[in-house]
Amino acid sequence: MVILEVGEFTRVEGNGKAEIVIENGEVKEVRVKIVEGPRFFELLTLGRYYWDVPDLEARICAICYLAHSFASVLGIEKAFGVEVPEEIQLLRELGLIGEVLESHALHLYLLVAPDLFGYPDAIRMMSKHGKLVKEGLTLKSFGNYIREIVGGREIHGINIKPGGFGRFPTVEELEKIERNCDELLRMAKKAVNIFATQDVFGAVPRYHIATDEYLYGEKLIASDGERFDYLEHIEEKALPYSFAKQSKYKGEIFMVGALSRLMLKADKLTPIAKELFEQHKEKLSQCYVSLNNLAQAIELVYAVERAKEIVSTLLDKGIKGENVPIEPKEGEGIGYVEAPRGVLIHHYKIDEKGNITYSNIITPTALNHALMELSLYEETKKNYGTLDENSLVHKLEETVRAFDPCISCSVHLVRL
Amino acid sequence: MLKLGVFELTDCGGCALNILFLYDKLFDLLEFYEIKEFHMASSFKEHDHLDVAIVTGTVSSQRDLEVLKHARNYSNYLIALGTCATHGSVQGAVEGKIRDKLEKVYGTRANPMKALDSKPVIEYIAVDFALPGCPYDKMELYQLLIDLAKGIEPVKKDYPVCIECKLNEYECVLVKKGVPCLGPITLGGCNAVCIRSGLGCIGCRGPLPKEANPTSEFEILRELGYDEEYIRKKFKTFARGELRW
Repeated sequence: MVILEVGEFTRVEGNGKAEIVIENGEVKEVRVKIVEGPRFFELLTLGRYYWDVPDLEARICAICYLAHSFASVLGIEKAFGVEVPEEIQLLRELGLIGEVLESHALHLYLLVAPDLFGYPDAIRMMSKHGKLVKEGLTLKSFGNYIREIVGGREIHGINIKPGGFGRFPTVEELEKIERNCDELLRMAKKAVNIFATQDVFGAVPRYHIATDEYLYGEKLIASDGERFDYLEHIEEKALPYSFAKQSKYKGEIFMVGALSRLMLKADKLTPIAKELFEQHKEKLSQCYVSLNNLAQAIELVYAVERAKEIVSTLLDKGIKGENVPIEPKEGEGIGYVEAPRGVLIHHYKIDEKGNITYSNIITPTALNHALMELSLYEETKKNYGTLDENSLVHKLEETVRAFDPCISCSVHLVRL
Repeated sequence: MLKLGVFELTDCGGCALNILFLYDKLFDLLEFYEIKEFHMASSFKEHDHLDVAIVTGTVSSQRDLEVLKHARNYSNYLIALGTCATHGSVQGAVEGKIRDKLEKVYGTRANPMKALDSKPVIEYIAVDFALPGCPYDKMELYQLLIDLAKGIEPVKKDYPVCIECKLNEYECVLVKKGVPCLGPITLGGCNAVCIRSGLGCIGCRGPLPKEANPTSEFEILRELGYDEEYIRKKFKTFARGELRW
């Protein structure tokens, strides 16, 4: 028996590794071990006053703090039966778009591109591919600019609140987005060309799952046509070898993330993104996990186009800057948001004083955990014996990276 | 060239990410530093002696403790970076014993992955510099690294968030709006970013190291109508048991 060790994974957020058991030349078992310590966020939020909770939940993850704050706010607002007007909805969506830009650009240019060009990191790519890296950083910093004006700061802003915002962005801040979109669009389109050339690898999921609207929603949808609440069809189990739990949809392995969003919601894309999707549809429809990278590149285009649409709508109508007042009452609510790397679920029960009595968070990396193991299984099966050990381990790392895993987030997927 | 390593223990990834958010300034740093290990950003790794090790996150597992010891043993200067490393931050504030927490969350008291109760780096080892913030101010880190490279003694901040709030001429949310704001007892350096949004300081840079007066802050909040349990939780969110009254 041979045990192949991969890890700890590099160029991913958080700490994880994999163990692959091979017996008589056959791949027997794959374990993706999330070794990042548990953070117990659900316990942290219990008994807390609802108003403070989105700020705490932001700390689950720095790459997608806004998605966490927003999912938290959505769950709380649903529990109280609060609905916010279009202006607030659009600004929140804009914040999520900023996060998609920041996160996808980080992932594609700084974490994945070094694999495509044969470097250990983007810094060492600079001398030969400096322009490309700089373009990635431009997209990323612009995403962060949006996160800052909507969310309050680049990381862990506290501006996303139940009922609205602490502070609304100014006209000048929004105009800056409008001014930059054309140049950003040019860069994003280039990313699509680059990632369209990547080889396919990893497993093919049985199902895709996403929220019903493009970046957030009322319910989840799946590729078998189901529209549902997570408790109806998603089951989690704890593993002895990982701080992350594992989920199945109707007992089967599924995927969440950019590729799943495109496969389920291409009709909601903006014009150029839709055109690019059509152009690469045949390849994307093979649904290998690695195609998630190409899907992310198309989403960079979507994000820039949609940001421009939102900003011009807001500027045409003028910013009112009015929040919806909230009266705490007993209730239960679930927030479904698309973090850049996939579906994120925040579920709360709140008492009549406004304190949290139940909290459950399921993150995209945890939802993808089973597919990650399957992908490593298939890649090892395909390459064991043909590739030398170093190249095989590299390939397996690349496979994990394609998910854009966010390991810090995944270690407190619990149900109380 | 100085040799730099970035080590992540258990955290949200933000402290390591914030280094990348230095953008052009990161390239300025690379004039002085060679990155020997930085697993979020690079697959390159060289186990060698380091001039500066940056450690982010809390010690929350046996693995974290080993990484921390490695970083300490291999470096001249060790920077505990971010509130997790300096004060324990949010995961450090989760109450209860590790086995009870594991049972509540994972349904078992077994601890095969060797989880520990989350504690800041500074409880395990001596550090040369402790830079708090959730997230920390990235220019503060930049300045510290440049100072170290040039052999200049770094300047420490020691004033409350209120100072930066006043300098920005923001309206006091605590006095004028009755919003719970920990600005008076929290270490400044964030440019009062939360008060800029009209919201109260949540204390993410940890308590002011000296001359903080949590007792009177506690009284003010109680007079505003917040109950003791609420205030207690608010005080300890980022700083564990450090604030007493």
